[in-house]
Parts: sequence; C-alpha cells; structure tokens
Amino acid sequence: MNWLTKTLGSSIGKKLMMAVTGLSFCGFLAVHLAGNLTIYGGKDAFNSYAEHLHSLGPLITAAEIVLLVFALVHVLTGLTLFYQNLAARPVRYRINRSAGGRTIGSGTMPYTGIFLLIFVVLHLMNFHFVDKTDTTIYNLVSAAFSRPLLVVFYIVAMVVAAIHVSHGLWSAFQTMGASHPKYTPFIKALSTVFAILVGIGFGFLPIYISIIA
Amino acid sequence: MVLDAKVPGGPLAQKWDRHRFELKLVSPANKRKFTIIVVGTGLAGGSAAATLAELGYNVKSFCIQDSPRRAHSIAAQGGINAAKNYPNDGDSIWRLFYDTIKGGDFRAREANVYRLAQVSNLIIDHCTAQGIPFAREYGGLLANRSFGGAQVSRTFYARGQTGQQLLLGAYSAMMRQVTAGKIRVFPRREMLDLVLVNGHAKGIITRNLITGELERHAADAVVLATGGYANVYFLSTNAMSSNVTATYRAYKRGAFFANPCFTQIHPTCIPVHGTYQSKLTLMSESLRNDGRVWVPKKPGDKRPPNEIPEEERDYYLERKYPSFGNLVPRDVASRNAKAQCDQGKGVGETGLAVYLDFADAIKRDGREVIERKYGNLFAMYQKITGEDPYQTPMKIYPAVHYTMGGLWVDYNLMSTIDGLFVIGEANFSDHGANRLGASALMQGLADGYFILPYTIGDYLAGYLGEKVSTDHSSFKEVEKEVREKTDRLLAIGGKRTVDDFHRQLGLIMWDYCGMSRTNEGLEKARRMVRELRAEFWENALVPGNDRDLNQSLERAGRVADFLEFAELMIVDALARQESCGGHFNEAYQTEDNEALRDDENFCHVAAWQYKGVDQEPELHKEPLVFENVKLTQRSYK
Amino acid sequence: MTKTINLTLKVWRQKSPKDKGHFETYHARNISTDMSFLEMLDVINEQLTLDGREPIAFDHDCREGICGMCGAVVNGRPHGPEKETTLCQLHMRHFKDGDVLAIEPWRARAFKVVKDLVMDRTPLDEIMQAGGYISVNAGSAPDANTIPVPAETAELAMDAAQCIGCGACVAACPNASAMLFVGAKVSHLALLPQGRPEAARRAIRMIREMDNLGFGNCSNETECEAECPKGISITNIARLNREFFKASFFASEK
Repeated sequence: MNWLTKTLGSSIGKKLMMAVTGLSFCGFLAVHLAGNLTIYGGKDAFNSYAEHLHSLGPLITAAEIVLLVFALVHVLTGLTLFYQNLAARPVRYRINRSAGGRTIGSGTMPYTGIFLLIFVVLHLMNFHFVDKTDTTIYNLVSAAFSRPLLVVFYIVAMVVAAIHVSHGLWSAFQTMGASHPKYTPFIKALSTVFAILVGIGFGFLPIYISIIA
Repeated sequence: MVLDAKVPGGPLAQKWDRHRFELKLVSPANKRKFTIIVVGTGLAGGSAAATLAELGYNVKSFCIQDSPRRAHSIAAQGGINAAKNYPNDGDSIWRLFYDTIKGGDFRAREANVYRLAQVSNLIIDHCTAQGIPFAREYGGLLANRSFGGAQVSRTFYARGQTGQQLLLGAYSAMMRQVTAGKIRVFPRREMLDLVLVNGHAKGIITRNLITGELERHAADAVVLATGGYANVYFLSTNAMSSNVTATYRAYKRGAFFANPCFTQIHPTCIPVHGTYQSKLTLMSESLRNDGRVWVPKKPGDKRPPNEIPEEERDYYLERKYPSFGNLVPRDVASRNAKAQCDQGKGVGETGLAVYLDFADAIKRDGREVIERKYGNLFAMYQKITGEDPYQTPMKIYPAVHYTMGGLWVDYNLMSTIDGLFVIGEANFSDHGANRLGASALMQGLADGYFILPYTIGDYLAGYLGEKVSTDHSSFKEVEKEVREKTDRLLAIGGKRTVDDFHRQLGLIMWDYCGMSRTNEGLEKARRMVRELRAEFWENALVPGNDRDLNQSLERAGRVADFLEFAELMIVDALARQESCGGHFNEAYQTEDNEALRDDENFCHVAAWQYKGVDQEPELHKEPLVFENVKLTQRSYK
Repeated sequence: MTKTINLTLKVWRQKSPKDKGHFETYHARNISTDMSFLEMLDVINEQLTLDGREPIAFDHDCREGICGMCGAVVNGRPHGPEKETTLCQLHMRHFKDGDVLAIEPWRARAFKVVKDLVMDRTPLDEIMQAGGYISVNAGSAPDANTIPVPAETAELAMDAAQCIGCGACVAACPNASAMLFVGAKVSHLALLPQGRPEAARRAIRMIREMDNLGFGNCSNETECEAECPKGISITNIARLNREFFKASFFASEK
C-alpha cells in the first residue's frame, strides 16, 4: 500500500472522506435549495432555472459524475464504518445510557444515512431519470406532489436530512481538525441553522406545490 | 558485620564526580550481554528501567498493576524540588542539601543527600525535555512555588498532579524502550521471592496474577523499586496493592532492613468515617497556608462548628507555636492533632478529627481567591465527604503517608546482598527520620535516572561472561518454598477474612507504633502482633485456588508478610531510645513536646538482619558522621 | 447520623476470557451512604467470602481517582452517574434506597474481559509504545529554561496530559473508539516545542496502532468527553486529526 491508500484507509482517513464528501453535499444542498426556491417565482421562473442549468452541458455532466463518485465514496465508507463500529463492541451493554454527549443526529447517522440513500434513489427516479421530452420539470413536480403520500414521504425525508446534516456539518469540521474556542460555537450554531433551513426550505416545497397544484 | 557504606573520600561537593570516575564501566558492546530485573514501575523503577535500557542493558520490568503507568507515584500531588534557584531567592545545592539533612532530623547520610541535591537539577532538565507540562510563568519560563514550609521557592509542579506527570514521563520513556526491544514488561506480576545464586541476587520468583502460575526470572542483577510499607497500618494514603512483600522477602534472604520505625504521618488527610473504610485520602498541605486549625475548648462539645463561638475555640497551633502557627512541619502538626483528640476535643462523628477553617481566609480574600488556590482540593473534599468546605470548616486528621525506612543500601544503592539494588522509597533513603515535602519525587527519579544507571555498572563489570539460568537448583528450591507458602495459606480454612486481620493489625500499629510511641505501648503491641500472627495462620479464610486470578490470595500473602514485618518495626522503635522526626517516643521530648534526639547514642542507621520468624533480629549500626553540618535542635516556636 | 441504603446489584460474572459470562444478582444491605462504590463492593466480597462463595474480581489501586485502574459500567454509565468522577471516588450517597444497579466491565473488542469486572487494557500501552513519548535519553537534555513555552500552551498540554488511561472513553464511545485517549496523548506532546521534532511520526504510528488493535472509528458523538473522569475535551481529537493530516500529506514520514 502506498502512503495515500494507507492514509485514506486509516480510521481518520475514512472519516476525512466522509467529511469532505459530506461537506460537498452540504454545498450541493445549498445550491439545490437556492435553485428550488425559484419555484416560488412561478412556473416560468422554475422552468427557466432548469433550462439554464441544463444549458451548462458538459459542466453539468461533470458535476453529476463528481456527485456520483462522492456519493459512492460517502455511502461505501459510511457502511464500512458502520460495520466496523458494530464489530468493535461484540458484547453489548445490558443498559445503554448517554452521558449527554449524543444528539439525535449523532446517534442515528447510519440509519438516517441509509434512509437518505433510499430517498435519493427514489428522488432521482422521480425527477431525474424520467423522459422529459414532452413535459417541463414544473409539470413533473406538480404532478408528483399532487399525490399526498409522496408529499408526506418527502417531508419525512427532509426532516431526516435535517437531522443527518445537524450532526454532519459540524462533525465534518471537527474531523478535518477545525476546532477553535472562538469559531467552534459558530460552526455548531451554523449546523443547526443550516439543518433547519434544509428541513424547512426543502420540506415546505412539496406542501407549497401540492397547495397550488 | 561492619556496614561499609562505600562513601567516597574527598570534599563533599566532589565525592560524586570522583566516584563516577572511579566506578568501573561496562562497554556498550558488553552492556547488551547483561540482563537486569527491575521490580516496580513507579518513579524510581520506571526511570531506572528506561535509563538502563537507553544505556543498552536488557531490562525485565515487573509491575503488580495492569500497566506500568499505574504505580502509586502517580498520586503524588505537590511537586518536585530542585536547586535551580530560578526565582533568584538564594537557593543552592548546598541549601537544598542542608534543608534535607535538617528536615530529616540528622539521620541521613551526608554524602547521599548532597548527591541528591546535585542531581536534582538534572531531573528538571530531563523531565522538561520529556514533555512534562510543568507550570510556567507568562514569559514562558518555569514557575516555582514554596512548599512544605521551605524558605525558598524551589518546587516545580504540574498543577496538583506532579507525580502523575513525572510518572507518565518515565512510563513513556519505558514504552519507547519496549518498542526498541530493550525492555520487556511483565504486568500483573507479584514478586514473591528473591533468588540467590552463590550469595548473589540472580533472579526472582513471581506469581502471574492472572493465571496464578509461578514464574522464574533470571538476570545478572536485581533492582527493587517496590515502594514503602505504609499499608502495614491498613489505613494509609498508599494504594491498595502497595505492600512490603518484595523488600521483606529480600530481608529474609539476607538484605538488611534499615530504620523501619521511621514513618511519616501527614497532617491534612480526610478523616476516617467508618469501619468499612479502605483507604485514606491526602489533601495537599498547602491548605494550611490559609486554613486555621482549631478544636472546641470543651471536651466532648458536639455542637456544629458554626454554633461554637470564637471564645470557645482553641486555635492550638497558633497558641503553641506563635511564629510558625498553622505552618509547623508535618510531624508537629500531626502529633498535636492526635493530642487534642486524645483529650476528647476531637470533632465529627468519630471524634478523630480537627477543624481546618477557611472562614477567615474567605472573609479576608474573598471566595474567588480561595477558590482559585484550592478549588480542586475543596471539590475533592466535597466529593468524598459530601460537605461544602466553603460553608462549614473542613475536618482533617493525620494519616500514614510515607515510610523513610527501607532496605539498607550503600552509596552505590546496593543492599547487603551482592547484586541486589534498592531504589526509591524501598531503600532506607536519603530522608533520614523525616521527609520534606516535594522530596520523594526528587529522590525516586534521582535514583532511577542518574545514580543507579552508573553504579550498577560497577557491580556488573566484575561478572562479564557469567550466565545464570532458571534451571539452577536455587530457583527450584525458592520456587518450592513459595509454592509451599501459597499452599499453606490456602489450606488454613479458618473463619476470618484476610482484610479483617489486616484491619486489626493496622489498629495495633496505629495505636502503639504510630505518630507517638511509648515503651510500654510498643511492648504491648509486640505481644499483640505475635498473637494476631499466630491466629492468622490458624483462622484466616483464603477462598479459591492458586491457578486463577485470586485477589484474596494475593492479599493473604501480603498480610502474612505485614504480620511479620510489623514486629520488626516495633523492635526497631524499641531499640531507638530517642525521638527524631517520624519516630516520637514520649519518654524523649523537650519541654515544648518536641522530639528530643540523642545524638550521642543514636546518631546511626539501625540495620536489621533477619534471624528467623520468631527470632530476635540482629542489629547492625552504621554510624552517621557529619563533617559538614552542625547537629541542631529543630524549633518552630 | 450515617444513612444506610439497600441495593440490588446485578453483577457481571465471567470466569475467564473464554467463558461466556452472565449476570448474578446480589443484595447489598445496610450500605452506608458515606462509602465509596468500591468499598460497597468490598463489603459484598467480605460477605461472599464468609459464605464460601467466590468474591467478585475487580481492578482498583489508588482509590483516589488518579491511577486509572478501577472502572466498571454502572447502569450504562462508565464510572457511574457522577460527572468527572472515577468509580473509586463515586460515593453511595448518590444512590437511593432500593436502586437496582447493573455493573458490567468496559465492553470493547480491544479490551478482553479477564475475569468478572477485570479487563485487559494493554492495548492502551501498545498504542503508547507506538509513539507516545519524546525520544530523549537521560542526561542529554539542555537546561530546562532553554526553550520557553507560553504559559497558555503549557496549560493546554496539561489539560490533555491529565489522562489517567482508564479507558472510560472507549467504554462510553458507541463505537468503542480510543480517539480521546490517543488525542490526549498526541495533543499533549504536539503542543509542546519539545514534542515537535517527532510529531509527524508519532501521529501516524499511534493512529495505525490504534486501528490495528480493533478499536472503532470516531464519529464525533462526544460521549467520551462527557464521561471522561478528567474532563478531557474533544478539541484534542480535532488536534490529533490535524496532526495526522499534516503528517500524512505534508511530512515525508510514510
């Protein structure tokens, strides 16, 4: 093994990969949310945002490939960590009790993560890998969210995403070694705010669309 | 037998330099041919193991705990002395030497103590380089504080955990040598006997505490760094596994035991609060800088402290010692606390405590200042007692803390058995009859880092090429004896637990061979110890077997040795018909109840030779010659 | 004045590392609330011995919270429910009459149970052997005041150096990770100028050793920090991560 695989293969290395990919997804979420907000500008605004995005051509493809690779890294590393961490304690405690360190986010990362993976696959099947020749993205979205079950599923997914991000964001900084008495409280607050923005920002969209549709 | 301390000639200040030149050397190529056993991994044993390995020797290191990092040196709080004179307050090697000799009530060897003061500075240099996070001034240089009533600030410290940090430094150095292949660590082993081959210490028998197996280990020399014997009192500030077994078994094999009656009682410990109590906790004596010690004037006064008006309180230390007040040395403070309790003025449920009151200090300086100085100690006190010392005065009582006595060693730290070296608290040490604060860490590390590594070569150089194997008949014989003793313990099948015996022994020793002794009391204690020992071998209950982790059996072996050793302490206390430092015989005191030495008849080290379990040990005297200091009477008025 | 309570204990009993182990129930009667937790176990053991049963094996030594030898998980909490308190310093006044306490050893693949509550924590020593030291031979050091160290740095180093090596961080971590232990040691030495020459080598080697020994991975749940009897902060883990990245990506150490 060379130094790079040794480094990335170590426990901290794996966490670094989780942190870097996770942070990128946070960035992606922010951009995605900003784009989606155009839906409040009405049908045309939203469609034109989609068109502008697709007009970027190869850039978009490149971004998609990067996202896919990052997703693969994030998921596979995450699953490896999940398995290794389970194996590190073969005999469990009779009673499990937290001393107050754990949060809902930190305690459920693997489970929220797996749920989000399923969600992302379904989400892509719903809106990405569909034939869009005879329709617009706006029509697709409003058709989808006229189904109450899907609205509920999306809202739940967004709450789960918020929980995942609430731990993931500050945790990524901690893993990358960014800890400082002056800035860490700010990063922790940012994580919470970002999680709420993700939850409400994305979560309200299906509701809004189902109302106007 | 004449005890030859092998103190080199020449002026005091040049003895060590000269001696180092005169010592035989072992060449680097030959060092790797020697194996040295080091028993114990405290400050002395850990530093010795690491340094010997650095020099190229093969070291086998043994500890009773699961890791060398847990030896009881770790609990030392206050600090470590050195004659650096960084604060520019007039300190020097000579002053540190003189303070230590005087503090020890002139019962230590001049040359050893001077050497200790000399190497003290090297210790600070080395430990700093090892990464010990000593306290620092804002300018980045090392901070010092005054400690234990010293008139200069020469104590280096790492918060209240100096012992821990220094020990972890020695432990880290050991771990480095484990990786280098020069040290093999044997944790969870208890040394049960010493093996002599042709009169030379060539190995030990250990019990693997996990499997119960007896193991033979051979080497070219054996170093004992097994600490003190304060647990003979059952309740002490020592760790639970601290014991006398290693040094006592060496004594039975021919090493002389020196000054066993010199024990130190620390005045500021948390009092005993019940019969189930297993151990005492010490609080730094720095508390006496601001706390005022008092008891009610009326014996048997059971009112809570805040209801006792000022005029009905007796601030006895301030009354008796107007100039030193609450800051009198450890032995004086301890004896006075006992005297007050003996008069029925003790406080608390048991009546075995005195108040240490911070009310005036808090009123004067404010709670914040007191909190900054003693916050961690107050928190510790509150954790253990459930009382808030900011509101109600602390209750304190003296507890056994350190033992100055130990195996007799010469200037080279070698005992009366060739090839058996003894370092740290385990030897009879450089502290004389009383140890000063922050000197124990200094001595342990001096022995291990800077003295033994030189002197052991002088011994080894003579035996190049000689090989010892564990197949030698001596190993077989000693192992058999150890096995028989274990079998005997397991076979008693009595009705009293080992701890029960230990507790009773502790009470006898505390009452009659504690901080204040009388000849009648000592005689009585001797009879009681003999009776208790006889009962032990008939009525002790040791469950389980010897092929397993058996903590009851471990304790049984240690208590059996304490039961014999206690008598040796009493014999030594009876033989020393004077008072000095930690040994206070009520028949020998000044008008002010201070220890009255008899320099004419007792200015010597009393070294005892074993003659059989119920036999009188033989006394050998090493006269103490003072060429450089004048013997004076301590006074703290 | 002394209050006493009665407790029901469910204690993990395991004969040897290979034995499966099980819980056994004991009744602790008339326990003085002034006792420490270990003294309560002493009392149980005295009774067991007199009854001809095998006493509970448990590790302990200094009984003043500094040697790091003691430790058991009490109702899911390493060293029991009190903050910054080792088991030996935990007093029975923190429990109520009639409480039921489950007492078990640290549980981690890296720490084998030796017997009952006694564990093998030598893996922590092995991590130390990989680099938890400054390579300096006795006698070679310059004067202690040659290199100034800012007081604040020395304090930060001391914060980390306080670790008593009890392993409660591993026990508390949902992943049985030893990152707080390693973080504390690496931080202590990396902060001080004396420790810099070896910093890269130390960080890489200690982490590799930790990984080899079967500890879990840190997932920043901060349970370790919450349970550490010495209150060691996870800032030290972040510093360890920094040291590791610096060493891995920018030093020549392989």
